[in-house]
Amino acid sequence: MQSQFPLELKYFQRALKDLEQNLLRMGTLVEDSFRLSHQALFERNLDRVEKVGLLDKQIDKYYRQIEAECSRLMSIQSPVAQDLRCLSAYMQLVRDLERIGDYCKDLAEIAVRSLSYPPLECLSKIEQMSRHAQLMLATSLVGLADLDADIGQQLKELDDCVDDAYKRIYNELAFQENVQGYVEPILLMSLTIRYIERMADHATNIGQRVSYIVTGLRK
Amino acid sequence: MSFVILLGGLIIGYIIGHWKQREINDQLKGVLDSFSERSDIRAEFSIASLIRRELSNLKEEKQDLIEQIQTLQDLLQSAPVGYLQVDADNHLIWCNQQARELLSIDRWQPNQSRLLLELVRSSDLDRLIEKTRSKKESQTKKWIFYPGYYSSSLEDTYGQKVSLKATSYSLANKDIGVFLENQDSIAQAYKRWERSISDLAHELRTPLTSIELLAQALSENTGSKQKKWSQLILGQTNRLINLIETWLDITQLQENSQQQLNFLNIELHSLIDRAWHELTPIAQLQSVNLQYQGLEQIHLKADEARLMQVFTNLFHNALKHSPTQTSLQVDVSFLEDSQFVVINIIDMGKGFSENDLPHIFERLYRGDSSRSRSSPEYAKGSGLGLSIVQQIINAHQGSIKAFNHPVTKGAWLQITLPLNPT
Repeated sequence: MQSQFPLELKYFQRALKDLEQNLLRMGTLVEDSFRLSHQALFERNLDRVEKVGLLDKQIDKYYRQIEAECSRLMSIQSPVAQDLRCLSAYMQLVRDLERIGDYCKDLAEIAVRSLSYPPLECLSKIEQMSRHAQLMLATSLVGLADLDADIGQQLKELDDCVDDAYKRIYNELAFQENVQGYVEPILLMSLTIRYIERMADHATNIGQRVSYIVTGLRK
Repeated sequence: MSFVILLGGLIIGYIIGHWKQREINDQLKGVLDSFSERSDIRAEFSIASLIRRELSNLKEEKQDLIEQIQTLQDLLQSAPVGYLQVDADNHLIWCNQQARELLSIDRWQPNQSRLLLELVRSSDLDRLIEKTRSKKESQTKKWIFYPGYYSSSLEDTYGQKVSLKATSYSLANKDIGVFLENQDSIAQAYKRWERSISDLAHELRTPLTSIELLAQALSENTGSKQKKWSQLILGQTNRLINLIETWLDITQLQENSQQQLNFLNIELHSLIDRAWHELTPIAQLQSVNLQYQGLEQIHLKADEARLMQVFTNLFHNALKHSPTQTSLQVDVSFLEDSQFVVINIIDMGKGFSENDLPHIFERLYRGDSSRSRSSPEYAKGSGLGLSIVQQIINAHQGSIKAFNHPVTKGAWLQITLPLNPT
């Protein structure tokens, strides 16, 4: 069957390659955005905030473009097996990436708000947590590039680390006594760890979807 | 009879065959003639051997070319800069060891067809390549590259970065080649160079001060002939001390500009007048007068002594190059939003030479024309005057530019200063 339509097949493989390239472009932008919001938050580097906003617009553009291209290819080319899994996983994947991008914007906003307070004691632990989440995002993108079947499991293990950190820092923030002054810095930091924990979850999802593309099994 | 017909037929067939053969040979020769660069006599050889010779020549040439490519690739491999090449679909075709190290390309084997983005997640590099493709011309870009850290070595690599300068070229078959330079080492080397000169200047200052004191003592305690000499020594020593102190001053301003300045509210017009007044003796000698135009009262936050230094330096320079009986034009105005004040200082001398213009703010730079050492003794500069002016203006968060004025043809220095530096 396939050899009857070599031209069309070539066209489809090409379109799939372009799609992958754009997906990686979007991933790179999300990674940049995460790094910038990290710098805004932990290095108090506020000129990063504006850049995060600009990046978010580009990320959204890629999100819509990739989603439209996926559904176009699905309906016109009716792919099968791994190609079909690729397209359906890509559609989910861009949503995860886009969500991480949104959280970057939220983190940048927190960076602006928390500027007027002295840094809390647990800030260095949160920074550690944020680094770990960035490592997870990078790992998931490498997994996507290499189509690594084991990446889902690997990320699940990494995610446990972030979940633990979330619980520990949450307790530290929540059960403080004799808090003086405003509660806002504590609120902001608990939002921060919540966002980072969600970002790590989305990175884990990306890993799961990559494993699904290769093996066809949902875990 | 039939034998004759047969014979006739054979003869005709032979003639036609021979004629065809000739035609084919001629065609082949024509092809050889039009393709081969060798123009030696062909008639003696049979067409088959000519073709054989041509083919073996081509084979040899191909071998040579392959070897050339290999040599060039070896050269690129050991080049001190990184190089990578992608094809029309952004697959990485080849990269050298330097590029692998600079971009942390660790998951790629030669002859493997992979998207560049799969190996290097850098949006800056990606955009540079796309821009080169769409504009079809070479591009240069600098950015800070953060290698992706995906392994479990979290602590070691996070925040590692390298400042890169990339130059891209559009090649045949829609390939794009990119040269990558590590800018960190250049910046570091420049810093080391500056530091060693400053250290040297520090070391020179103490002995020079002793020489100065001794020369002073000599000139006071010797006879008239020796007195003249020792005063020459004193003069030259003072010049050296001056040079060294200015150098150290510039270095300090550059390193921590804010701490070096004492910001106060000052009035600019009167400051300009006072700076000019200091130079009245020279101005009168040359009959040059100051023409002030623009705002009368300008209040801004600045370091008074430093700005004074700026204007005396600039006026002194301008006087050195002004012909007699001319005027020095100074005009002061606000920029549109009244947050910045612009000061133009224009003389009527010969102006800067076009070759000097890009370099005049560099330390120890000397032009080779009229603005150089061949000027009279009193006009000799240290080569640091404009550098320190620029450092002071920068420390005030302002900027200074140099042009030649289109009307007077003289030097034109334009200073922009914020009224309220943060």
